[in-house]
Amino acid sequence: MTDDQTTMSQLAVQQRPVILEVSGLSKSFGANPVLRDISLKIHKAETVCLLGPSGSGKSTLLRCMNWLEQPDGGTVFLAGQPLGARPGGGLRMRDKELAAMRTRIGMVFQHFALWPHMSVLQNVMEAPVHVLKQTKDEARATAVSLLQRVGLAGKMDSFPARLSGGQKQRVAIARALAMKPEVILFDEPTSSLDPELVGEVLAVMQDLVREGMTMVVVTHEMGFARDVASRVVFMDGGHIVESGPPDQFFEAPQTERARQFLMRYAARNN
Amino acid sequence: MNEFALVWEHRDMILIGFQNTLLIVVLGTVGSLVLGVLLTIPLMSRRRGPALIGTIYVDAMRCVPFLLFAYLLYFALPSLGLDFDNWWTGVVALILYNGAYMAELFRGAWANLPKELIEAGQAYGFTGWVLLRRIILPPVIFAAIPLVGNQLIQIVKDSAFLTIIAVAELTHEATSLQTTYFVPFASFLAVVFLYWLTCLSIESTVGYANRLAEVRR
Amino acid sequence: MTSYDYYSIAYGALATVSLSLISIVLGVPLGLGLALVRWSRLPVFNQLTIAYVSIVRTCPTVTLALLIFYALPVVGISMEPVSAGILTLTLSTAAFNTEIWRNALVNFPQDQYDAALSFGMNRNLRFRRIILPHISRTSLPALVSEMTLQVKSTPAVAIIGIVEITRAAIRVGARTYEPLPPFIFALVLYSLIVLAFVKTQRAVERRFAPPGDH
Ligand SMILES: Nc1ncnc2c1ncn2[C@@H]1O[C@H](COP(=O)(O)OP(=O)(O)O)[C@@H](O)[C@H]1O
Ligand SMILES: [Mg+2]
Repeated sequence: MTDDQTTMSQLAVQQRPVILEVSGLSKSFGANPVLRDISLKIHKAETVCLLGPSGSGKSTLLRCMNWLEQPDGGTVFLAGQPLGARPGGGLRMRDKELAAMRTRIGMVFQHFALWPHMSVLQNVMEAPVHVLKQTKDEARATAVSLLQRVGLAGKMDSFPARLSGGQKQRVAIARALAMKPEVILFDEPTSSLDPELVGEVLAVMQDLVREGMTMVVVTHEMGFARDVASRVVFMDGGHIVESGPPDQFFEAPQTERARQFLMRYAARNN
Repeated sequence: MNEFALVWEHRDMILIGFQNTLLIVVLGTVGSLVLGVLLTIPLMSRRRGPALIGTIYVDAMRCVPFLLFAYLLYFALPSLGLDFDNWWTGVVALILYNGAYMAELFRGAWANLPKELIEAGQAYGFTGWVLLRRIILPPVIFAAIPLVGNQLIQIVKDSAFLTIIAVAELTHEATSLQTTYFVPFASFLAVVFLYWLTCLSIESTVGYANRLAEVRR
Repeated sequence: MTSYDYYSIAYGALATVSLSLISIVLGVPLGLGLALVRWSRLPVFNQLTIAYVSIVRTCPTVTLALLIFYALPVVGISMEPVSAGILTLTLSTAAFNTEIWRNALVNFPQDQYDAALSFGMNRNLRFRRIILPHISRTSLPALVSEMTLQVKSTPAVAIIGIVEITRAAIRVGARTYEPLPPFIFALVLYSLIVLAFVKTQRAVERRFAPPGDH
């Protein structure tokens, strides 16, 4: 891609509707400020990779996006609607309202977080049936086709304890897709996998990118970010330090902190 | 030894006691499991009040010997206007007492559940009762199975205390058999054997359930 | 209730706790001895210990007390209620203690044992200097937890006529025609005693918690 084309496609992205927006978000744990005045817009069909050293607040930001962590200040908007609290802070949403909005945001966890007492198929059907109130037949049909798509049609009746890490994470992705979410949040989806299993999960995620899913991905897989991200957001110390297209970020980082981060990575992986 | 012959002759007495013990244990088990689950909810609640009340109840039961507690109910229930006979007083005592122990087991299992598992439920829009019933309680119960097994043995053993408030359970029937015919050796030995059999069956059933639960943990 | 009534119930509580403590003092080493029998797989004695643990562990304390008090005279061993009570409680707690000690022995780290061997320690010395201190530490939380259970099941010996807290409360109730107050007093008093054990148990658990566990 030439620089011109990059700019063109960036412009095209900017014209798409904003799916998820955080504005002025801050969060502390006790006296430890973890997020400081974070603002970020995720456009439809964008893949935003969140990079940054460990402890920089990436997970906390992701968890604030669906209010698993309650921010201290700032607002989260899902398709323009405030989530968790009324705008201007204060007044917390009722649990039911919050839950209804959460169904529109998928989440994939570092340690899979499959429900261990359910089979693979039940894991994928569970929320559609018991939260979205789909009929069992409808939910099963969707679940079966999703499991086929992530290559696990043969494991439908297995329990999570019997699966490899890569298989578990693919089930978790199918579980997220079954809700037909507007955006999926991934928190280091490959970090707890054995190296030889990372590829199968990334392949599934790459498919989603191609199909135009909107995704926010916290990851340490630099190759994935470089090839697949529409935008890279680099965090350090609770701030967004740098944000831009992957080519620019990896070839010509604008800040000293990003340069050092990339150098440490390169050193470790050679 | 014709003591044993005498006991065999009057085995119907022992069997009635055995039947009663089994019935009491089954009711006590079901009741205390239900009470235990219900009590776990306030114990794990984020709200201060319910959590405190739950903790006080559970801690109180854990500090009281079962015999004294059963006696207390035996004398207290009538003065509260509750007209239970000895048999039901005994069952209620077993449930109230062991329910607290079950709750403590479930609370421990819940606290040890991976946090992400519950968060996944919340992230997918589960709340309140459905979150509890579909996502939290099943793994809590699966995790608690071995300890619940130990508590079931405790229910069997506690049920023998009820002889003191004249509930016609196994030990009570053995005592009346021995006082009527003076056959202490054979009657008590028979009863010890029946308790042993009961507990062994409970343990093997729990072991089987545990193997089923294994893959679901 | 007169002050004498309170006193007699308190006295009963003291009797109960004394019985518990005696049985614990006897039952802990007895359990250790039986665990060693199991560990060394002494023929016959090993099987007898297995049977003893399996049966007594599942036998209600009330029933065991009745068996010992009423049935043993038939085979020529008769005892005062108090001795029968102590024997009951000791046998009962020792069955659980055997399992606790055995568990610690089975999990004794092999490398420490090998190290002791390599220093040429004899069997006796190895046990006293290396194994016993280690298993005492690892068994302590479970032993204290069993002591708490033991204190709670001691009132069972009321069945063979020992005047302990339960009987003391019954007597007061029978005399005053008001059974409830003496039982409430007995319950509160005894709960405080058990609470002391529970607190000890928690302190021990915290102090001796296995690493990585909290
Ligand atoms: N629940 C929590 N309680 C207290 N501190 C927390 C909690 N979660 C995260 N933190 C702290 O917040 C900081 C950022 O954590 P996190 O968002 O997990 O970073 P990252 O995902 O980038 O590694 C860290 O210093 C971490 O110790
Ligand atoms: Mg993280």
